[in-house]
Amino acid sequence: MESSNTYQKDSLTINRNESEDELTLSFFGKSILHNPSDFVLPILLEALEMAENSAKRLTMDFRDLAYMNSSTFTPVIKILERARLATNRVTAIYRKGLKWQEVSFTALTIFRTQDGRIDIQGVE
Amino acid sequence: MRNQTPLELDIQTDWTEMGNVFESALQFFEHAGFDPDAVNTYTMVVCELVENGIKYAKSSNGELSAVHVSVRISSQTVTIQVTNPINAASRAHLQDLDRTIQWVRGYQDPFEAFIERMKEISREPIDLPKSGLGIVRVAVEGRAALDFFLGEDNTLSVLAVSRIEN
Repeated sequence: MESSNTYQKDSLTINRNESEDELTLSFFGKSILHNPSDFVLPILLEALEMAENSAKRLTMDFRDLAYMNSSTFTPVIKILERARLATNRVTAIYRKGLKWQEVSFTALTIFRTQDGRIDIQGVE
Repeated sequence: MRNQTPLELDIQTDWTEMGNVFESALQFFEHAGFDPDAVNTYTMVVCELVENGIKYAKSSNGELSAVHVSVRISSQTVTIQVTNPINAASRAHLQDLDRTIQWVRGYQDPFEAFIERMKEISREPIDLPKSGLGIVRVAVEGRAALDFFLGEDNTLSVLAVSRIEN
């Protein structure tokens, strides 16, 4: 059964969609929040737990994000590390054609695991 | 189109100003004729430096004070300067800023510094919101040379100079 949920704070929107085999968090707009961890981290943690409980892959899709301040990387980094040290399956998708996304998200490939459990994908 | 009138902004130290800062910078660089990637890059540099300015702007009596942004474009460079008042309590920030800039300069490729900082963040407690990525990101994504100086009137100016890529 598919379900969805939308979270919004200022100009940042996060949509959570759950399908039969995947849980996706799609980021839209701009993240210029003062303390993005206060808003973003609980959403990521809940999604990670939901995905784990239902044996689904969690996908974080940043392709439609127009801007993200550096503080917003903190919760993303921490979720990737938490997942890497556990058994979760997580994918982060970014838009390769956007230079700012290519530069910043390429750095996140340090969290990639050889078995593909944690993956960072740049797509056109 | 280049060498246009500089962008000058005075910003109250209120985070809700960040939306206006973002839009003003974006429109300024678009109007200057930069391609979308360059517009995003320079806008990011302005926003990261202004965020720092808002966080640490304190007048001598300890009250919050205004941040000034100046952006100048020449034929070869984009120079972004963010100035804010500081007081004695801001000294720790100054030391952090100095240490971070020196640390980034220590890497031949600033991208390595960016990755190192990400590794450090990943090892920190999950509820510690501090990033410390802003200055490193300005050096990496903005390909900017960073410096700062203290004014006689108790102001801190952080300067980022990016070479324009043709």
